Amino acid sequence: MSPRRTPDGGRIDRSRQVRFTFDGTSYSGHPGDTLASALLANGVTLFGRSFKYHRPRGVMTAGIDEPNALVTVLEGDVREPNIPATMLEIRDGLTVVSQNRYPSLAFDLGAINGLAGRLFSAGFYYKTFMGPVIGPLKGTRFWMFCEWFIRRAAGLGRAGHAADRSRYERVNAFCDVLVVGAGPAGLMAARAAADEGRRVILADLDARPGGSANWSDETIDGMAAPEWVATMLAELSGRDNVRILPRTTVWGYYDDNTLAALERVTDHKAKPETGEPRHRTWTIRTGSVVLATGALERPMVFPGNDRPGVMLAAAAERYASEFGVLVGERAVLFTNNDRAYRSAAALARAGAKIGTIVDVRDTVSAAAQRLASECGAELLTGRAVVATEGRSRLTGVTVRAFDAKSGAVSGDARNLAADCLLVSGGWSPALHLASQAGAKPRWDAALQAFLPPEPTQNWVAAGAVAGAYTTAEALRQGLEAGRRAAGSSDDRGEIGIPLAADDELDPAPAPVFEIRADGKAFVDHQHDVTADDVRLAHREGFVSVEHLKRYTTLGMATDQGKTSNVPGMAIMAAAVGKPVEEVGTTRFRPPFAPVSLGSLAAERHGHLKPERLTPMHDWHVAGGATMMTAGLWFRPQVYGQPGETVEQAYVREAKAVRGSVGIVDVSTLGKIAVQGPDAAEFLDRVYTNTFSTLPVGKARYGLMLREDGFAFDDGTTWRLGETEFLMTTTTVNAGKVMQHLEYLLDVVWPDLRVHLTSVTDEWAGAALSGPKARQVLEACVTGTAVDDATLPFMGIVRGEIDGAPVTICRLSFSGELAYEIYCGAGYGTHVWETLIAAGRPFGIVPYGLEALGALRIEKGHVTGAEIDGRTTARDLHLDWMLSKKKPFVGSAMMDREGMTGPGRLELVGVVSLDGRPLNGGAHIVENANPAAPRDSIGHVTSVCYSPALRRYIALALVEDGKARRGTRAFVSDPVRNRFGPVELVSHHFFDPEGKRLHG
Amino acid sequence: MAEPLSPLQPVWRPGRHGNLSGGAGVVLSETRPASIVQVAAWPGSERAVIAAIRAATGLAVPDGAGGGVATATKAAFGIAPGRFLVVDQAEGLEAELRGRIDARTGSVTGLSHGRTAIRVDGPKAEWVLAKLFAIDFGLTALPAGSGVATQHHDVLAQIQRTGAVRFDLYVFRSLARSFWQTLCHSAEDVGYEVI
Amino acid sequence: MLITCPYCGPRDVSEYTYQGEAGRRRPDPASADRAAWDAYVYDRLNPAGEHSELWQHSGGCRSHLVVTRNTLTHVISSVAFTREAGRSHGRRGKGARR
Repeated sequence: MSPRRTPDGGRIDRSRQVRFTFDGTSYSGHPGDTLASALLANGVTLFGRSFKYHRPRGVMTAGIDEPNALVTVLEGDVREPNIPATMLEIRDGLTVVSQNRYPSLAFDLGAINGLAGRLFSAGFYYKTFMGPVIGPLKGTRFWMFCEWFIRRAAGLGRAGHAADRSRYERVNAFCDVLVVGAGPAGLMAARAAADEGRRVILADLDARPGGSANWSDETIDGMAAPEWVATMLAELSGRDNVRILPRTTVWGYYDDNTLAALERVTDHKAKPETGEPRHRTWTIRTGSVVLATGALERPMVFPGNDRPGVMLAAAAERYASEFGVLVGERAVLFTNNDRAYRSAAALARAGAKIGTIVDVRDTVSAAAQRLASECGAELLTGRAVVATEGRSRLTGVTVRAFDAKSGAVSGDARNLAADCLLVSGGWSPALHLASQAGAKPRWDAALQAFLPPEPTQNWVAAGAVAGAYTTAEALRQGLEAGRRAAGSSDDRGEIGIPLAADDELDPAPAPVFEIRADGKAFVDHQHDVTADDVRLAHREGFVSVEHLKRYTTLGMATDQGKTSNVPGMAIMAAAVGKPVEEVGTTRFRPPFAPVSLGSLAAERHGHLKPERLTPMHDWHVAGGATMMTAGLWFRPQVYGQPGETVEQAYVREAKAVRGSVGIVDVSTLGKIAVQGPDAAEFLDRVYTNTFSTLPVGKARYGLMLREDGFAFDDGTTWRLGETEFLMTTTTVNAGKVMQHLEYLLDVVWPDLRVHLTSVTDEWAGAALSGPKARQVLEACVTGTAVDDATLPFMGIVRGEIDGAPVTICRLSFSGELAYEIYCGAGYGTHVWETLIAAGRPFGIVPYGLEALGALRIEKGHVTGAEIDGRTTARDLHLDWMLSKKKPFVGSAMMDREGMTGPGRLELVGVVSLDGRPLNGGAHIVENANPAAPRDSIGHVTSVCYSPALRRYIALALVEDGKARRGTRAFVSDPVRNRFGPVELVSHHFFDPEGKRLHG
Repeated sequence: MAEPLSPLQPVWRPGRHGNLSGGAGVVLSETRPASIVQVAAWPGSERAVIAAIRAATGLAVPDGAGGGVATATKAAFGIAPGRFLVVDQAEGLEAELRGRIDARTGSVTGLSHGRTAIRVDGPKAEWVLAKLFAIDFGLTALPAGSGVATQHHDVLAQIQRTGAVRFDLYVFRSLARSFWQTLCHSAEDVGYEVI
Repeated sequence: MLITCPYCGPRDVSEYTYQGEAGRRRPDPASADRAAWDAYVYDRLNPAGEHSELWQHSGGCRSHLVVTRNTLTHVISSVAFTREAGRSHGRRGKGARR
């Protein structure tokens, strides 16, 4: 028989149908179904193939712990693999395929791996591929040869290549009490904290908060448990201070009570609402946390325990009670504890025949015996299941006598017909978050489980996670935890605790984890790690649990060992001959469950960084500029005309500057307001040259070093008033210079009265360069003269351009007569357009970064390519700027051994002698043989075609470069296949006397 | 002469957008104050600077970190120890403050062009801002009038609560357009109106 | 990790820039004592345990802070402005900010 839908029962909406497809076949289910429950209801038992051996696998659990039933969800050409069918809510149009099978799920070629079991045992990859294989495939080459085949055969779902078009977002939340898990304990805790007036967030990973109360047959507060849940949720959601987050997995517990959660907002919807994200990452900062995360049932380890039809007992109970799905008609229960008898009873009530209960214990409690007889089941104590029969689904099990103390199997085999085997090996508290938060879990011998450690942060555990396995105790603990988390000292006793009958079942399981018999007995179903693999690892010397985990990959699959961790540790402990508490457990790390990468990228999805735009940006784009980035900034590269190459465009632009006049946007230069009575003194300390002597209304070029004596940044600083300076920095170093200066003021010279403010964005800047620059200004500037006397080199005037206040400084980066015109950024485009209109009679040309670069290379001016953190002022021939009259940042260290003298890389000019372009990064060599370009003497830093020289030129840093001027060498750039003769010259290629500067 | 140009102009889409099933959750606008000025005190002269702000604007900035006050046309709040952002819809505030604060008391820096002022107003304002900033925008943590200096990744922002559900954000002009687009994107799920 | 800025309140570490060990003394600017300069520029403590560190609240008020942090546990035992003098004004009042 197959699993089927029960005629009634469950919390699904039977009045409506939902259509979805699995492996191309169309099925229907009801709202409220998971993919697992809907497929089971349709009689599907085969969900996937296993990781290594390609064994047929069914569904083992009903929740987040599912190791087997992983599927791939298709959304157009976007595929999302490895989604547990137990967590996937069905919706109309949902398209799902199974994984790790070829050509089909029912007939899978890879299943032949199962015959070669030894081949894939623990440490297979290390042993096979890292060993010294002889011959052409030795070492890792053998791995590289085999990798393609192995990657196809082994593994989980296949990742897609199509871009994920879904929307994701992040949100920050602050609360007083975060309650993780909305089962009986969590609901009680949330209400208790809310009663105290605290801001409460209640998160639950399921679509229907309520936890075990959603499938329990118990009565709480006089109501059926699910009804009590609904009442509690309605009450809590009506409160202003409570936020309930269903479908939200709290997956990380970080320092300072910061927790991360993933909300699956629209995965269950056929169509998201406008603006709704698929997933939302919550970063929650909370005063305290109530961990009410429940417990996970663990399977028994025995041969054939992975056959479809073998399922955790509580999962089968949950399918029957919550989803109205009977996982089998003829069930056998195999258990080491009392609690599982209730699962059997639930299935019996739902219509299954419980043929037999196999219990490893010799005697069981009277309460359990009563449940067994209620089920009409034959009770076999002191027995164990040692094998299962069937191919792709269970047909029967084999039972033999079992001694729970020694673990010995004996006696005759007895075969029992069954279409499903309910298994329970006890419960493991879901203490992952508590473990993440710091300390080591402690072993409870009675419960045979790890319990949460003593808190290292402000949290309290309640309910099954704390070992309170009965609903009554969970309710009590929840109330108490909620009050404690709310900081309430008021002990109001038992008031408000809803009544739930304490059952008489013994919560303690027998300490049995494994039945040793012939055949593969799986510990980690998802990674196909068997009990023998664990013992093999032990024999090979991996005795630490952390080593065991890495060697066998136990617990390292996407389920992170939720069902396999404790059985694995127990088997290891038995092999080592130590109790479990001495072997310990591995440290849990975030995430508790897989997290979509999109939700972590969130709003940075698509555009990773903000775009930083100058005030004239739209003008540049409209004017045909090709934009390029410099840090976050967008700057015009060239204003190309139709049919022009980039080189043709910048050569045209640079020629126009030298021939008449050009204009360039320099708004991106870092600008720092330096204000205060000690501003001049401060600048004297941070610049290598002196600024206190600078008169008001004048600018000066300045150089900064780092404390270690290397060159740091350069720029002009303008004295706008006795106590006010405007410092400019290079575009890319603006942030670093600001932090450097703030550090010095805050930490080194706190006595100086200086304020620093970034005013980069306050001012739009345009540089007007060329022999006609002054005439352009004369045509449009009012309120000041701009003649040589009023505005000499490095002079500053204030005036207006078409009504906009401007500050004009005469300084030059191009070597031509040039001015920088600054105005309020809001006026930037207006002033720019006015300048261009005024320049039109002179043929003014806007120019971009390439022309700017060519003009400055011709002049030998350095930028970040030369001030690269390894060069000194002397290397760059800027030693004339090093004041000898005062100390400054870097002065003590700049002349250390190694930073002066022969052998330093010094700035030189390079001229291409073969008429071909040069490349930045190319080496300079003296050896004329291109096949052996050894012994680099330096490298090229900046390159261009020089319209003035009509040559390809470059700046370079070359060993003892100054002494090599006039000599020949070669550029060598094997990566770009460039080798050719060059001449090393002075870096002042053009107008070395600076005549043009003065117009 | 021309009016100062807003960096948001090319992406400015007045009207209602996003999921409007529950109405517009927030109203987004650019307040375009003519004066945005930073005032910074030397250690020890904070009270003199607060007094000068009061004399210049009539705004009584409360003592204490992030303390501030806002009226329909003016606002002031602390952004750092001894530093305040002072805002006026009218022109002339920088000159007014410079007249009252000399170099021995502190410094005055004009930022009217360098900062773009964006207002987020409406019942979902806290929700939308929570997507962008790791700040507790609850009324208890951030009372009306007070402000914070924080960042959204690369975008530094100074934020003042100017009403129960109203926040004024000051961001660098060069990044304002990118930030505005991110803000609009973040408001789509609750619906927004641009005015 | 949260650092509680005395002005801005607790903020995520991503708002801060680490600026190295606190308490280093810069030699007299005119000093030519190479060993002292070498120590200042290059030598840093790297203790396992309590460490006095400089953090700039670059994403907030931009103040530099002296943070005493346990490098093993991330527990921060104290935070203060580097410019403590005159900075009593403008502290976040107790309980005013979370």
